[in-house]
Parts: sequence; structure tokens; C-alpha cells
Amino acid sequence: MNITEIKSARAGDSYFKIKHSSGLVVYVYPKEGYRSAYAIIGTKFGSINNCFSLDDGEKISVPDGIAHYLEHKLFESEEGDAFTRYAETGASANAYTSFEKTCYLFSCTDRFEESMEILLDFVGDPYFTPQTVAKEQGIIGQEIKMYDDSPDWRVMFNLLENMYHHHPVKIDIAGTVETIAEITAEKLYQCYNTFYNLNNMALCVAGNVTVEQVLAICDKMLKPCEAHEIHNYFEEEPYEIVSPYVEQSFPVLMPMFNLGFKEKAEPLGDKKLAQTDILLSMLASPTSKLYRDLMDANLINNTFSYELFEGPGYCSVIFGGESRAPRQAAEMIKQYIAKAKAEGLSRDDFEIARKAVYGDVVSSLNSVSSIANTILSYHFSDNKLFDYIEAITGTSFEDVSERLSEMLDVTNCTLSVVKSPDAEV
Amino acid sequence: MSFIQRTPIADGVYFNSVRDSRFKTMKLSVHLFVPLSAETASENALIAGVLSRSCKAYPDFTALSRKLSALYGADLNVSSAKIGENQVISISASGLDDRYAIDGESIAKELSVLLCGVIFEPNLSGRAFVAGEVEQERRQLLDLIDSEYNEKRIYANARLIEIMCADEVFGIKRYGTAEAIRAATPESLYTAWEKLLKDAVAEIIYIGDSSPEKAVEVFTEAFQSIPRTPVTLRTEVIREAGEVKRVTEEIEVSQSKLVMGFRAGIALPETETRAAGLMCAILGGTATSKLFCNVREKQSLCYYCAARYDKDKGIIVIDSGVEGENIEKLEAGILKEIDDMKNGVISDFEIDSAKMAIINAYQGSNDTVGGIESWFARQLLQDGFRTIEEESALLSAVTREEIIAAANKLTLDTVYVLKNK
Repeated sequence: MNITEIKSARAGDSYFKIKHSSGLVVYVYPKEGYRSAYAIIGTKFGSINNCFSLDDGEKISVPDGIAHYLEHKLFESEEGDAFTRYAETGASANAYTSFEKTCYLFSCTDRFEESMEILLDFVGDPYFTPQTVAKEQGIIGQEIKMYDDSPDWRVMFNLLENMYHHHPVKIDIAGTVETIAEITAEKLYQCYNTFYNLNNMALCVAGNVTVEQVLAICDKMLKPCEAHEIHNYFEEEPYEIVSPYVEQSFPVLMPMFNLGFKEKAEPLGDKKLAQTDILLSMLASPTSKLYRDLMDANLINNTFSYELFEGPGYCSVIFGGESRAPRQAAEMIKQYIAKAKAEGLSRDDFEIARKAVYGDVVSSLNSVSSIANTILSYHFSDNKLFDYIEAITGTSFEDVSERLSEMLDVTNCTLSVVKSPDAEV
Repeated sequence: MSFIQRTPIADGVYFNSVRDSRFKTMKLSVHLFVPLSAETASENALIAGVLSRSCKAYPDFTALSRKLSALYGADLNVSSAKIGENQVISISASGLDDRYAIDGESIAKELSVLLCGVIFEPNLSGRAFVAGEVEQERRQLLDLIDSEYNEKRIYANARLIEIMCADEVFGIKRYGTAEAIRAATPESLYTAWEKLLKDAVAEIIYIGDSSPEKAVEVFTEAFQSIPRTPVTLRTEVIREAGEVKRVTEEIEVSQSKLVMGFRAGIALPETETRAAGLMCAILGGTATSKLFCNVREKQSLCYYCAARYDKDKGIIVIDSGVEGENIEKLEAGILKEIDDMKNGVISDFEIDSAKMAIINAYQGSNDTVGGIESWFARQLLQDGFRTIEEESALLSAVTREEIIAAANKLTLDTVYVLKNK
């Protein structure tokens, strides 16, 4: 077993990466003086993995929403559900499914070993029957309907549908009431056996723990797992967006918008990620001229935000928030970006943004949950937390200017609006 | 757990300090408590927003934001919240601890001076706030009121409180009304700001590794320089519901919402609040609660069905999202679980696991700056602080009989349904 210690003098922290003999990659980030521990295990199986094959086997297509459905069902075993088992240790447990991964987690302040055993046990022990699968239809059906009523959620998926021609990132993570009706115990097993292979998963534990503690439980609970080759099939996605504008009528009083710039989809290393984060802070954080002018023109309010939205085969930059005039807000954002590209960025803005981005990531190392979540996400995207921190301090003004020249194409963006039926936008 | 040091620094003003070297950040917050009232709630909420936009030293939004970002992305946050029938205006600054400054500056000192300046030396034009700044904050707050309707779970919960507490101070929103927000002027806000600083019970909380010395110095001087007449804070508690109020409203949504408001019959400072809190957790506060296991998992009726106890006001709210045709079934299902609680159908497992879940959350809160702050902040209006260990011991000692007694005080007051057309 190979144990590597990864240190950051700047952050004053260190963590360990272990390739466990079972095939699982394990990260342990001890936090001195902390009482709590947070553990999260994830598999590289999210809503976008709806067409795949294993080794040389045939290509399999599965119903939309199956990764999320599987997440719900994995909590159950023949003896009862995992929540009941956690209730005996006092741990607080949860799970979530995103576009590219499914994760199971708990936090606790006592009896860490027992909770850790529960986690590894139920994630490694699927139990699906026609009856238990059928029961979940009602619960997830209501979860889907709750999201159907959420303007935040709708404005984003309408955007994705109008940016992406084929990529499954445009499909709602939970699927629809119709697609989940096609899910069977057999299909769940098929997905489980493909993606819940320890070689396709990672575990991260942060807080009041030691490497020895975590490895002892892994040794006890995990059996060596043969590695398989998983192929995920994504239809070729054109560079161009589908359509520049989409709107939906909704019972809302505050209209909302998302303006998405479709980017070339490529894995961003730590340096490019740092450059992008600094660039977006320069362009659109509350320190920027754009933010100020949007505010003064009453085009945004303090719900305005931006994000780099990326994963396997997709990448975009999304600006959004509430606005009573989303078209004008979008126009102003595009104009400012075009101007920055033509006239260049400001060095002052760069210095301020670099400090702000650095401060944000160092602050996030306070929290065991954000540490573990970030390391796990970075594992799946091939990034490294401390390299990212170093990359921020090492980024130059020229790097960021160069980055701007290759992204935020104002001719390749989509505006999505959600508004009440009678509102003029 | 972390130790708190509390020192009075002016009439009705306390400086609470927690020194902790585990964190990479520090936080300094000023909480101003005043009685909630229809006349002042909106102006106070507006003041909080206006103060955070600019100040005398940084007389413009962008200048202030750039100063904060240059301090390694420091944050300046304001909020207006309701604790019982009191309004609390909180203004806080947080940033990296001095150890992590790349250029060696003292972030803690700079933020102490900045926060004090934001509160005591605002951006004024004579005896009025700057009109443009007021207009911006007025718009933000009016937008916030409209956006509450966007998210139907939030909206339905807000409607329940409005209906249930229509004749009580508690029915006033934390930012008052749209009318009062529109009526405020730069001059009226100046008067309200002076009154807020004079009358509020002020609690300053510092959490960090660096010394709070500078913060103590600037806030002592600032509060001592104004004539102080601190208010008395109280909350009216209605012990028992009268006839059940029922309101149904219809809009175009996919999912209907059912929200039920109960009088708990128990509120702070009574010690029975512990039993009531535990009873609420067993009923609908965890993933092994009665509502989760029976209404969600067994009956497959909903995705969420949760109970929350407001121990300052003494009410319990249960809310859920459901198919329109299942509303009655869901209400009956919820009431059956409450009847079971009243009749003592509670297992030892349910009691023990709820206790463990709450204690786990208490202990975990000591590992974050925000958690430590809220642990102490929610005891500010109580008689002295309890540590996590003390509170956990008291919770562990709650008996089955006390839980059943708490359940038997529950009375249904209001049922609000937001129905799909």
C-alpha cells in the first residue's frame, strides 16, 4: 500500500493519499483540535452516465435519473435502512447525486469507527427488489415535482437544454416521472455492478481521525476488487450553442435569468482553474465595474452570482440571478466582456482578485465538510487542492489575460429567463 | 469546548470573546436587539443594508468592496432576523487570520476598525443618509419580498406565520412591509439609525486567534460616546390554540404544500423547552423521525415532511410537499403520528437516537466559526451561557414522561394549504 503525505506550508495543513489494496483511493485530512469527523465516499457515476459499456461488453442505455434513484435505494438493505443504523451511533448521514458523481457521507463526533463501517458496508451491499424499487416512485416523484416548481432549477436546466445539443448534462439529475417509471431492480444492479467498483471510487475523511484508524476499517471492510474498463459514451457535442434565448412562464414575482457561455470542454488543470477563478472575480465580483454598473442601472440585485460549470465533456461559465430586465442585464455583461477582450484587463483588478480568491480557498480549510467534498471532487476531475492554492499565488496578470482571450465567446452564449406570464422582460 | 469571555463595555453593550487557534479565519459581529414593531422593522432592515454599502472612509460601494477583497476576500455581512418578538440586526466582518496574510498585514485590526466605522461613521449627507444608497437598498429589500413568492416552500411557511400570528407582534416580518420600505426617507433613516444605536441591546462577538484588543478599544469608545437607553426585550407566548384556522390558496404549481402550525405551550426561558425540542426531533427532526419513517418512507406520500420548534415563540411548524389529491391523507397521517406521541407510543430507540443526533450536532458546531458564534448567540438573551457539555447533560437527562408531557401540550392552531390549480 502506497501512502503519500501532501503538505502545504502556506495553508499550514497536510493530508494523506493512499491507494488501498482493495483498489479504492483513500484521502485522510486530519484536523488537529477538532472533535468532529466527516467522511464521504463517491463513485464516478452521475446523471450524465446514461450510456456505457463494461470491458468489451455491449453498449447499455439506462433510463434518465437512474444514478439518483440508485442513491436512494442503496440506503436500504435486507435488514433495514442505513439511517436506522446510523441512528445508533449518532452520526448525521446524507447522500447526493450530481452530474458526474454519486456520494454518500456522514459527520460525527463520537463512535467514528462504527459509522465508518456502516458507510462502507451499505455502499458495498446493494439490495433491490421489485417492491422496494416501486415504493421509491412516490417519494422521488414528489422530489421531481418540488424541483419542477423551483425557478432556480428550471432557469438552469432551460439554459443547459439550449446550450447543449446532445450532452446529457442537459437532462435533469432526477429524470422525469416517466423515465423513473422504467427503472427496475435489474437495471439498478446493472449500474451498480458497473460503477460501484472500488477502482472507480474514492473515499475522503477529514477531521478528528488518523490514517491508521481509517485504513484499519478499510482493511476490515473492503475486499480486493478487480479493475474493469468502463466506457462512457457521449455523442459528439458541437462547439455552438443550440439557441440564444429561452424563456418559461412561471408563478414568480421576481424574474430570474442565467446567461451561459459555452466553452470548449477540456480538463482544466490547477493552473487554468486558478486563472479562470481570478478572471471571473475580476470581471463580475462586487469589486468590478460591471457589477457596479449593473447595480446602478437596476439590472441586478444582490442575488447576482457567477460560476464555472464544468465536468466530463462540458464546460461553461454561467452568470445569473434575479432581474426585472434580464435582456438588458445580459447585453451589458456581453458588452463588458467584449470590451475587456478588446482593451485588456486592469492590473489593479488582478491584484485584488488574486487575494480574494486565495482568501476564499484558505478560509474553506476551516470546515471538515468543505475539505472532504473539495478533495473528492478534485480527485474525479484530476485536480489537487494544494497545487490549486499554489497556482493562485503563482498566477500572473499575463496568464489571466491569456485565459480571457480563449474563453467567454460573446457570440456563443444563451440567455434563459423565468418570469411571470404577464411580465415584460 | 471553546471558552467565552464576556465583558460589559457600555450600558447594555457586551463584548464576548472566544480565542481559538484552530481556524484560519476570524469573525467579528455586532448584534443589535430591539423589540419588533410594525413602525420600525422596515427602517431597521433598510439601515442594515445601507450601512453595509459604504461608509465615511469608503464612501462608495465599489471602494468598500475593493477594500474587503484586498483584505484577502474579507466579508461584510448584514442581516435582519426575528428572535421571538424581537428584531436583531447583525453586522459582521470576517476574514483570514493574520497568520495567512501573504504580505504580513494585520487583517483582524483592519477589520475591527472597518466594522466600527461602518456602524458608527456611515456615509452621510448632513443629518441624512445618501439618497442614492438608500434607493439601492430600498430596491434590494422590495426585490427580496417579491422573491419570497418565487420559492413556494418558503412562501407557504411565511403565509402560515402571517395567518397564524395575524394578531401578534410575531406576525410582523423581519423586514416589515413593502409600504413601510417605500415610505422611508434618507432623513427618517438617520433618525432611526441614531435611535437604534441608542436603544438596542448590543452584543459583540469575536472569534479568532489574534487578540481582540483593537476591537474592544474601538467599540468601547464608540458606544461610550453616545447616550444609551437600552430597551427591554420580551415575547408574548400564546399557550393554547383556539379554533383551528384553515386557509387554502390556489396557484399554478406542480406540487401542493401543506403547512401546519401548532402552539407548543412551552417556550424559553422554561426548562421544559428541552423536552419539547426533543419531542419535535422525534416527531420530525431526523431521518429516523416518525414523520420521515412513516409518512415518507412507509406511505410514500412526500419527499420532505419536517417539524421545527421555535422555542423563543413557542410554536411548532410541520411542512410538506404533496400531490394535491393526497393532502387530506397527509394531514391525517401527520396527526396520527402526533397522537401516537401524546399516547406515549415512543420507543427507547427513538428517544436515544434523537438525543444522540442533537448532541452530535451540538458537538460538531464547536468545529466551525459560525457554529461557535450561533451556539453563544442563541443564548445571549438567556440568563448566562451553558457549554455544549452542560447542555448535552441536561438533554440526556430528559425523561420519556417529560417528552410525553410536552407532546400533550401541542395544540393545532392553523392549517395552510397552497394547492395546485
